[in-house]
Parts: sequence; structure tokens; C-alpha cells
Amino acid sequence: MWAHRELLYFLIWRDLKVRYKQTALGPAWVVLQPLLMALVFTVFMGWLARVPSDGVPYPLFAYAGLVPWTFFSSAVATAGNGLVPNAQMLTKVFFPRMLIHLALTGVRLTDLLVSFVVLLLLMLGYGVGVGRGILLLPVLVLQATLLAVGVALWFSARIVRRRDYATLLPVLLQAWMFASPVIYPSRLVPERWRLLYSLNPLAGVIEGFRSALFGLPLDWAGMAVSGVVTLLLLAYSVRSFLRADENLVDII
Amino acid sequence: MRPIVQVRSLSKSYRLGRAAQGGRQRPGRDAFIWALREVSFEVLPGEVVGIVGRNGAGKSTLLKILSRIVRPTEGEVDIYGRLGSLLEIGMGFHPDLTGRENVYLNGAIIGMSRGEIRRKFDEIVAFSELEEFLDTPVKHYSSGMYLRLAFSVAAHFEPEVLVLDEVLAVGDAAFQQKCYRKMQDVIQEGRTIFFVSHDPSSVTRLCGRALLIESGRLKDDGPAETVVRRYLDGVNSEVSSV
Repeated sequence: MWAHRELLYFLIWRDLKVRYKQTALGPAWVVLQPLLMALVFTVFMGWLARVPSDGVPYPLFAYAGLVPWTFFSSAVATAGNGLVPNAQMLTKVFFPRMLIHLALTGVRLTDLLVSFVVLLLLMLGYGVGVGRGILLLPVLVLQATLLAVGVALWFSARIVRRRDYATLLPVLLQAWMFASPVIYPSRLVPERWRLLYSLNPLAGVIEGFRSALFGLPLDWAGMAVSGVVTLLLLAYSVRSFLRADENLVDII
Repeated sequence: MRPIVQVRSLSKSYRLGRAAQGGRQRPGRDAFIWALREVSFEVLPGEVVGIVGRNGAGKSTLLKILSRIVRPTEGEVDIYGRLGSLLEIGMGFHPDLTGRENVYLNGAIIGMSRGEIRRKFDEIVAFSELEEFLDTPVKHYSSGMYLRLAFSVAAHFEPEVLVLDEVLAVGDAAFQQKCYRKMQDVIQEGRTIFFVSHDPSSVTRLCGRALLIESGRLKDDGPAETVVRRYLDGVNSEVSSV
């Protein structure tokens, strides 16, 4: 894998280069997409449903949840569907297949960076100070990355076999978003369901991301559970992908 | 001399029917075929081995297993050296990227390092004769220009063991001549090469040794001229008996 790091770099570079070729707004979309989503949720969740936002203005609260969520969901959606469009390449040249998942996730990571800068600007605009917890963010982003790669690996191997999974994936992602504290704080979840809720590894990542950034108290126990679940899920996915990889090329 | 490539009783089966799409095998209804059956041979460093056989004989399957793209059902392949394969030229070329960008991208995909591409970049471009079009997106290239650029990258790829699948016939007559001369240079540098072609004359010209594959089995292995003649005789007798 390490021997192919240059190819990884070139694959990311190609996607970034090609991506906005025929768009009018170009890279602005990286930021516009979560911003527009935040606007929609502010109207419906913030104003109409009056969802609490832990003392942070709701638009900022929602955007801060949407930044890691958009990264995760778009990485899973593209990397999970990444093998079939690359079938031509997969059947004609050898390289570790996982490079495709890593490259597509890497592209989304650059998006995350851009939308994060906008998040900092928004905080400045709202006069919300950055907490010391910001130092924790790289760890949380790494966790979100591992989680996205894991889920994408599992799905991509299934999709090669049965395209049904490609239809299932967006449905799952939609449900996953509502099962994660993206547009509401996790304290809305009743105490007795909290443990079950923290088994969703993304709950720890997104809640942790926002709390760390806004200087809110961190739920260390929940984050530890989420970290362990992430590693288990990743190990399982990698194993299952490597097994499927033995005849992926024959089926694709 | 120690062999650089060892292939031991290599077999590959493919399932047919619904099972080929990864579904469950239905007993009695889904058959499978042996694309390769018990193929064994050894290759010494510096040998140039042509592989001949009819469509569907198993040539491409053999090349894909040698290239590690496809896993064998049975048997083993050992390769003692860096292997590179060119089963298609212009792999990963993106129409929106410029010629220059595609050279780097394609080079990385076939297995060249960035340093290696940078070192050979001028040579690659000179070979393609496309200096003026380097910063034009390749979607504006003619198909001949596109293939010339693709071949030029491929021709400067220098692994110890090279697997080639019919990439020779590219461009106009003059450029084909040039490709052919480049191939001969590569061969004279003492690299080990596997070469599949439907054109028997290019196999006899370029290769010292040839393997004849028929219905997945290795039917003949020997000097290229003898094997190719036997292959052509077989094809001719079949055609005349129709």
C-alpha cells in the first residue's frame, strides 16, 4: 500500500482537478452545499420545531454538525460506489483496490478543510469563541475518516455483487443522519436510550466535534464507546473486503 | 540461470450463468468453464515470450493472472522482480486533463514513480511528437494523437518483467514503425517480456520463444517460429475443412 502512495496522490489530484470543470460556481459548492442545508434546517428545525441548540445560535449549531456529517456521508456515498465506475481500470491494471476508497475519501477530506474554514468565519461573525477543545478535532476527523472508509469498503464489495446495495446506500445514509446529532443535540435523546445511541459511532464524532469547537463539556464515555465501535467496524470491513477482493474482478 | 518467472499448474475457472454475477450456484443449471487448465512453464531473465492462440483460448486470462489482476483458482505464479503490465494503453486518461497532466496520471497508474516520470518526461514527449499540444486537454486530440501519447508513456515504462497485450498497432504507418523499433530496443536491453498478439508475424519477429494456448491448455512451448507455424497450420486446416 505504501508503495502506491504516489498513485493515491495522483488519483486525488485528478478528481480535484476534474471535478468542477463544467460548473459555473466551481469549488464554491464545497461550502454552499452545507450552508444551504444549514439554512433549510434552521428554518424548519430551528424556527418551526424550536430544536434547542446548546446555547449556540441554531444556524451555527446546524452548520457545525453538517460539516463533519457532509464529509462522512459524501465520502461513503462516493467511495462506496467507487468500484463499479472504475471497472475498466480494475480489470486492466494491478494496484491495491482500497486505494480507490482512500482516494475518494481523501477528496472529501479536502472539502472538509474548506468548509471548516468557513465554519471558523461563521463563528467569528456570530461572536462565538473557539474552545481549547479545537486541538481534539484532528483526532475526531481521523475517526470520521476511518469510519467512512470502513463503511465504504463494506458497501463497495456488496455493490459489485448486487447493485441493490447502491440503491440501499442513500436510504441508509438518510436514516443515519437522523440517528446522529447533526441537527439536534444528543441530550434530546432520553437518558435510558443514551447508551444504545452512543453505539452509533458517528454520534460521538459529531457531538464531540461540536462540543470541542464551542467549548462545551465533552462526553468522554460516549466518545470512548464510539472510538471502540469505529475500530471494530473498520477491522471487520477490511477483513470482509479483502475476502471479497479475491474474486471482485471476475464479477464486476 | 535461475528462472525469473515460474508458473506451476495454473488453472482458472469461471462460472457461467447467474452464478457469474455473484449469485448462488444453482445445481445442474450453472456450469463453469476452465479458462486455463494446468498450465506450467518457466521463463529465464531476458526471454521474450510470445503467447499465441485463438480468441477465447485463455491468453488474456493468463496475462491477467501474471499481472496479479485476476487470482488463479489453482496453482501458483512466482515472479522474482518488479512486474509491470500494459494490457491497454492510455489507462486512466481523462479527457478534461491536458496531455502533460495525463502523462503523469497514466504513468502513476501503470506503476511508474513520480521521479521516474519526471526523468523521462522530455523523452516521452519527444517520442510522441506532440510538444505543441501538451497543454491542450486530450479531448481535443485526434484519436491518433491520443494513442501516440498513450503509447509513448507505455514505451518508457521499464519494469524487469513486462506483460504486453497487443499494444503495438498504434498510429499511422510511420508511427507504427517507430513503435516497432522502440519495442526492439526494449527487447535488446535484456528485459523479460510476455507478449500477446493476434498478428503471428509480429510474434516471430519480436519473440524468441512462444507458447501456444488452446482451450485453456498449454499445447506447445518452443522457438517462436516453430510454435507459430504449428498454430497457423492448425488454424488453416480447420478453415479448409469447413
